[in-house]
Order: sequence, then C-alpha cells, then structure tokens
Amino acid sequence: MGKLDGKVACITGGTRSIGRAMADAFIAEGASVVVNGRDEAKGMKCLEEMNAGDRAAFYGGDASKQATVEGLIAFTIEKYGQLDICCLNSGGVLNTAPVFAMTDEEWNLEIDWNLNHVFWGMRKALQHMMERQTGRIIVTSSVEGKLGKPGIPGYATTKHAVNGLVKAAAAEVGTLGITVNSILPGIIETDIVRETGPDSAIAMGVAGYDELIDMFCQESSIKRPNKVEEVAAVAVMLASDAARNITGNMFPVDGGTMPY
Amino acid sequence: MGVLDGRVACVTGGTRGIGLACAKAFLDEGAKVVINGRDAKKAEASIAELNAGDRVHFIAGDVKKREDCEAIVHGTVEHFGKIDILVPNAGGGSDYAPVAQMTDAAMEDAMLWNFWHTFWTMRTALNYMIPQGWGRIMAMSSVEGKMGKPAISSYVASKHAINGLCKSAAKEVGTMGITVNALCPGAIETDEMRTAGPPAAEAMGLTYEGLLDVFAQQSAIKRLNECEDVALVAVLLASDAGAGITGSMISIDGGTSPY
Repeated sequence: MGKLDGKVACITGGTRSIGRAMADAFIAEGASVVVNGRDEAKGMKCLEEMNAGDRAAFYGGDASKQATVEGLIAFTIEKYGQLDICCLNSGGVLNTAPVFAMTDEEWNLEIDWNLNHVFWGMRKALQHMMERQTGRIIVTSSVEGKLGKPGIPGYATTKHAVNGLVKAAAAEVGTLGITVNSILPGIIETDIVRETGPDSAIAMGVAGYDELIDMFCQESSIKRPNKVEEVAAVAVMLASDAARNITGNMFPVDGGTMPY
Repeated sequence: MGVLDGRVACVTGGTRGIGLACAKAFLDEGAKVVINGRDAKKAEASIAELNAGDRVHFIAGDVKKREDCEAIVHGTVEHFGKIDILVPNAGGGSDYAPVAQMTDAAMEDAMLWNFWHTFWTMRTALNYMIPQGWGRIMAMSSVEGKMGKPAISSYVASKHAINGLCKSAAKEVGTMGITVNALCPGAIETDEMRTAGPPAAEAMGLTYEGLLDVFAQQSAIKRLNECEDVALVAVLLASDAGAGITGSMISIDGGTSPY
C-alpha cells in the first residue's frame, strides 16, 4: 500500500535531479508518472532506470514552451485517463546577469521558463482537476522565491512570482478538493546548477562554482546543500490525500536559510 | 517498516488533540513515545486509544513549571534510553482581553504555557541531542504565530516568540544533525479550543461559532484544520528525509497566512 496508489502525476523537468527524485518517490508510493524533459535520450534512459513498466512514460519537449507544457498535461490525461498531481518543476537560468546587463532575450526566457510555464501548466491542470474536484499542484519555487541575490534578478523575480500565483490559485480552488503549494528548496547540486553554475557565479560576483555553492551553504543553518530526496519527501506528503488541508503554502526545504 | 523505527519521541500535551494525533502518527511509524499531560486519569483513556503496549509511556507534569518540563524530558530518557524527537505541543491562553485591559497574570500564563515550556523542554532535550548528534524538535506554534488577532495578544505574542526561538536554535545546532522547526496550524477544534475558545470569542466580541467561522473564512479551504494535518507534517520533519528542513515555520493552515 503506497500513499499514492492509483494516482497519476506529471512532472516538468522530470528526467533528472529534483523532478526525477519526485518521479522516483511517486512511483515508489504507487503512482503512475509522466516525466517531461527536452532530451529524448535522457528521457529513455530515465524510463529504463526507473524500471516502472506501464507506470512511467516520457513526454519530450522544452518546458519554456506553452505547447510542451499543455501537451504534457493532455498527453498524461490521454494516456492514464486522469491527472491527480501536477508538478511544475522545470526552471533555471541560462545566461544570467545583473539587472544593468540583463538581455531581453535572457529575461524573456526566464519569464517563460520559470513563470509562464507554471501558469500554463497550472491553468490547464486546474481545468481538468476542477471538473474532478480533486487534485494537487506542486510548484518548485526556490529559496530565492523569498530572498534575492545579486546577479540572478530574473530567477529571483520569477520564483517570487510563482509564489504569488500559488497563493492566489490556492484561494480560488480551496473548497474544490484541490491544493496548490510551492516548495522552496535551498541550493541543490542538480545537473542544471552544475551546468549553469559556473557562469551564474561570474554574474553573481563570486569566484567560481564552488564559491557559489558555499555562499548558499553558509547562509543556511545546516551549512550544506539540500538534497533532491528532501524535496521529494515533501512532494509526496503534499501529493497524498492526507494533505488535503495544506494549501497556499511555500514549503521550505532550505536547511534554515529563509527568515520567514 | 516505519520511517521512525527505533526513534524515541516526547510529546507534551500528548493525551489529546494535536499532541495525541502526533503520538499516534509517531507510533504508527515505529517510534516509542512518551506522552505528557496534567491528568493521569485522562491519560489512561489516551493510552488505551493508542493501544501500543510498552511503546507508549505517560509522564504527568504541568508544563507551566520548569521542574516539570525538565522532568518530562529527563523521564523520557530514563524510560526509553534516549530522546530523538521532541514536540513541545501543550499550550493555550486564559483571561483574554484587548491589550489595554490585559492583565499581567494572563500574559504570564500564556508565556509560561507556550513560550517558557517550549524553551525549558527544548533546552533540556538539546543537551541530550547534541551529544548523540541527532534530533528533531517540532515546536507547536500557530497561524497566530505569524498573524495576529485582537484580544488574544498573549497567545499571539507567545506563539511569535516560539518562532523566534526555533529560528535561533536551528542556527545553533544546524550542523549537528538536529533540526528545530515550528509548526503553525490553523484553527482546529480541539478540546483546548472548545474550552478556551468561548471566552476568547467573547473578548473579541464574537460567539464561539463566529470565532471558528472567522478562522475558516480567512483560509483558502473555508474550513478548520484537523489534528491529523499537523501529525502528517510532524512525521515528515521527524524522519530522516526531514534532515534538510530546519528553522522553518511550517504553515498547516489551509492557506491562511500569507508567508
């Protein structure tokens, strides 16, 4: 008996790191999961590793594109007949810079990737969930959704924005059997952080990748990065039936960083 | 196999309401649990309800007294050999009134019950947890630890104080395998609420039902929370997976508090 037996989930950015940990945890608790990612080969590898048979599927596409996000939700409902848990998890930065040096191109990418993707997915998922009067929407925000570091203005802005979106949506559907929450992880050494961290470090005015990670760690109480499994455990809890009364929350998984 | 196999927990105010729900959830996940309460008679029914044999133990004590708070924690270690999880959960208030009319006695009562009890049990427990390099403290705050309602300033201030205590302590022990968090439930119709709610409502110029409705209407779910909601989060924080969550004030309030 799993906590998510019979549930169906979809996860943007689900083939690796936080999204992948959520997928693994959901499957372990009995759910069926569609993971999204840009890279077909990584998607296939992910399915192979998860080894969940019919209970796992891959939907390829860039989560910063409306067609991908809406397509993922339509695909999930078509494949499994329902969508119970929608994890809007994908996000990041590509060529971040301080405000004075931020390009329109980067800014718009971050808005699409971190904010619009969440809106598109949430809207589409809610239309389905409101009809069924049940659902869980879980958004991966960030410790930067409450704080704000130099050099990542787009990231901080969009992660703040999704928290507002979560609170408003939670209030809209609070009596309809649907919860809407965000999880705010501290720094985690995910693939995306390893890929973009060195460039982000320069934009943030620190010497390099290691110093970037250390800066986040030193702000925390635990003085270490968080782990994807810690986020996944919260996601399982929020996704479970037992969490029906927990909504509109910004759930911290940041090792004691944020003051509120 | 539970996520708390081998753990020892201590829950103050554990014979009813939120504390009893936490105790039950911990037992279900394999922990041994000490429940504290003032009334040994009431505890008999709670222990029968928990039906966990020698995995549950009752320690009587009034949490408004320092020696009792310390004895509850020491007693847990004496009985089960250690303390891994502390839930300073007992709390409440009395003689509610607007600040202009609030008596010293009423303010002191809430501070003793909510804040001092949390501090005394936390201090004692940390002195066991630090040497063993593992611990989980989940202090019972409230949605009113973040918000503020008229005429219950004693409750609001003492719950805010608990949040500050947790944040400081979390930083002190953050690298020692110990987490310290505050749980902030919305209104729940516990026995304590049924007892203290009517006079609190009166001080606010409301009926008891009107007071509960104010809480419900402020939430997104338009209903009150339940004890099990809090226990669910307490289990997560107490588990190994909770290692990366500390210094947090976790809302369990149906979407009420804005932060």
